[in-house]
Order: sequence, then structure tokens, then C-alpha cells
Amino acid sequence: MGDILEFFDQMGFMNISLQQVIMLLLSFFLLFLAIKKQYEPLLLLPIAFGMLLTNLPGANMYHSELWTAFLDANSPAYHSYGTIMREGGLLDILYIGVKAGVYPCLIFMGVGAMTDFGPLIANPKSLLLGAAAQLGIFLTFLAANSMGFTEAQAGSIGIIGGADGPTSIFLTSKLAPELLGPIAIAAYSYMALVPVIQPPIMRALTTKKERAIKMSQLRPVSKTEKIIFPIAITTIVALILPDAAPLIGCLMLGNLAKECGVVDRLSKTMQNELMNIVVIFLGLTVGATATASSFLDWSTIKIMVMGVVAFGCGTAGGILLAKLMNVFSKEKINPLIGSAGVSAVPMAARVSQQVGQEENPSNFLLMHAMGPNVAGVIGSAVAAGILLTMLG
Amino acid sequence: MMTPLAINWSHVWMVTGLGFCMVILLLVVLIFILKLLGAVVSNAVKAPKAAEPKAAISAPAAQAAPASVKASADDDLAAIAMALHLYFNGVHDVEPTEIHIKRVERSGWNSKLYGMNNLHR
Repeated sequence: MGDILEFFDQMGFMNISLQQVIMLLLSFFLLFLAIKKQYEPLLLLPIAFGMLLTNLPGANMYHSELWTAFLDANSPAYHSYGTIMREGGLLDILYIGVKAGVYPCLIFMGVGAMTDFGPLIANPKSLLLGAAAQLGIFLTFLAANSMGFTEAQAGSIGIIGGADGPTSIFLTSKLAPELLGPIAIAAYSYMALVPVIQPPIMRALTTKKERAIKMSQLRPVSKTEKIIFPIAITTIVALILPDAAPLIGCLMLGNLAKECGVVDRLSKTMQNELMNIVVIFLGLTVGATATASSFLDWSTIKIMVMGVVAFGCGTAGGILLAKLMNVFSKEKINPLIGSAGVSAVPMAARVSQQVGQEENPSNFLLMHAMGPNVAGVIGSAVAAGILLTMLG
Repeated sequence: MMTPLAINWSHVWMVTGLGFCMVILLLVVLIFILKLLGAVVSNAVKAPKAAEPKAAISAPAAQAAPASVKASADDDLAAIAMALHLYFNGVHDVEPTEIHIKRVERSGWNSKLYGMNNLHR
């Protein structure tokens, strides 16, 4: 009889709290969004499932208290991966890859192997639009400070405006690991909502005439340029801003593997197997950090609100700079491509194309928008490096 | 989760202003590098062509080439634009959904089949 009672006592049903029930419902909702609505399913599905696993009482797959001790300088487990390996669960062990900043960099390697920087090389001015779209990061940093977050936390919240999941996770794991769950979920949710968030801002800030501007065809880019590009960018950026080197270096390594044409096997592995494995680990473990105690907090709601502000400001920054460039430039550019400066590759570029075609169905902005779009990836990685240097 | 600390606004403004300016500055540096790269590579490509003897190309052909190249490029662009327009507007041949069975007439071409059916009756 005693054994039966003990068995019942150990059941999750007997130990579950109201907060955990709410978190489980939230994970079901995110799974619904991933599967039924297909909002960034490749990432949202593992994140939501990680959230489900971590909030199951008694499963012991993730221990937030171990990671609190890991950060506590007075604890014997301070910066001790050995303690994590010895006492942690499956998700604790996988989370080491996030904590050490390994997964975001590996994902960037895959992103680099899948990205064509040709439109950016053909039109280097796109980099300016990619830079202007980072305005959202810094304005949100300012706003988050005024809402009571610490500077490190504010920097991590601001990076949501870069619309770049791996960069957000990389920076947050370094500056404010306690906010990793809400920030990752906000970043990926809003990236999926780019087609909803951006068009109203794009229409509000541009006239019909501006939206109908046709741009001249981009020049062809030689293979030599495409090969030299990743090497030159890595060298220059890493020499100026060493903290951005892990992200930029991995991005450009992937791109070099794709463009050089002599390591097809490596390039395909980066694009497929490696990328997929890391996405599973990253998604699961980031979702696992969303425990009831850390997620059900007013700061989560504030982060969600500021995430939208960050996206909106980034979009507006790119469009306004494109309009400003039109004042000084002879060759007009369609301001809609400025909104693609928030990275969210290639969704933001597709949104520019769709909104442009609403005004002029024969206007094809996609390739022009890909320039600022991939420039946004570089821009957000650079912004992350700057925040890490200043706040880390 | 949040730590209620006095905000050092001067530092916050410094990070905001300096951080954004540094992003712009670094990417402007990259713009110059990309332009330089483009110029160097295109010069390197042009150099061997310039070294070719000019006499090999007759004057009328040299004059006619750019116009024909431009014309064919325009044709290509028009074809691509039309294909994309048709694709995005879903305009394509509409297949009839009705299936008609044509009554077969006797002829020298189907007489064998007709004869086989008769044997089964």
C-alpha cells in the first residue's frame, strides 16, 4: 500500500503547480502556431517542445537552479561545467552549447552557406540600409533602460530589433542569460510575424509614387568577388571589432565554402545536416529555459512589447534612410527595400517585393531587397559585437 | 528578475549614440572596401581583353555588337518579366474538365480489336 501511495506521490499530476499548467498551455499554443499556422516551424516547434519538457514536474530534464549556481561567484558550482555534466539532465547538458555560444555560431555557418551575397556585392550601398535598420536595436536599448532593466538586459532586449534569432541568443547568453527564454521566443515569434508587422509601417512611411519606383538591374558579380568577399569581411570586421568575430567568422566561413566550389561536401553538410542538428539542440534548450518561474513575470510582457517596438523602429529606420538617400542620389531607390534591412532573411525581402507589387505588378524588388537583407545579417552581428564590447 | 538600480543615463546615451554610429561607420568602411574590390576585380578582368590585338575586330562588327547585345538583353528581360507576370497572376491555359468518349467507327485500323470483342460475346 505504501509503495502505491509513493508511486502516486511521485506522479507529475500530484506535483504540478498552476504556473506550470499555464506554461504547458502556452507550449501547446506555440506548438499549434508552429504546426497549424507554420510560424517559423523549424525553430518554434523545438522551442515549444523544450518549453513543454522543462515544465513537466519530476521530469528533471532541465535545472534552472544549477545554472543560477553556475553564475553565482560564491557558489562552488561557479562556472563549473563538470557540475552540470554530473548533476544535470539531458537538456542541461545540451544547454552547454548555448551557454558557451557554440550553437548560434554553428547556425550562422549554415546561414552563410545558404546565403548569396551577390546582390550586396553588386550594390554596396545596401550596407547603409542594413545599418540604418539597426536603429531599432539602440532605440529599444534606450527604452528598456527607462523601464527598469539593467544595461546588459536592455542590450539583450534591444537586439530583438535585429530580427536575427542566433544573434539574439548569442548576445543574451553572454549579457543576460536569465532572459534567454522570453527573448528567444519574442525574437522568433516576431520574425514569423514580419509579413504582419512591416507592411503597415512601409505604407505609412512611403507615398504611392515612391513605392512604384523601378530600380535598374544589378550588375553581374564575378566568382572572384564572391570568393574574396567573405575573406575580406572577416578580416576587416574582426580586426575592428573582435567581439563580432565568432558570428561574422562563422557566417563568412559558411559562405566561403559555398562560393569557392571546391568543398561542396562541407558546404552541403553546413547547409543541411549540421544546421538541422544544431537547430534541434538550440530550439529545445532555449525552450527549456522558459520555466514557469522565469517566464511568468511582468518583464516577459515588457520584453514582448519592446520586441514589437524594436522591429517597428528597425523597419522605419531602413525606409527613412532609403528616402534620405533618394534626396542625394541621382539613381532613385525604392524605399521599400529599406525595410529589408532588418535581417529576417529572406522573409523581409519577400515583404518588400509583395508591397512593391501591390503598386506596380511589373516591379520586381526581390533581388534589390536581398542586398539590404543580407547586409542586415552583417549589421546585426556587428551591433551585437558592439553591445558585447560596451556592456559585457 | 529586474534589478532596481539607479540608471546611469550618461552611459546609456553614450552606448546608444556611439553604438549606432559605430555600426554605421563600420558598414561605411565595408562599402568602400566592396567598391574597391569591385573596381580591382573588374580591372583585372578587363586587362587581358585590352591586351588583345584591336585589329582582330573589324570596325563594323565592333560597332554593331553593343546594339545587338542590348537588344537581346531587352528581349530576355521582356520574356522573363512576362513569365513572372503570368506565374504570379496564375494566368495559364485552362484545361477543360470534361472528358469526351469518341464513338469509334469501324475501319481497317481497329477491325482486329472489334473482331476480338465479338469472339467473347
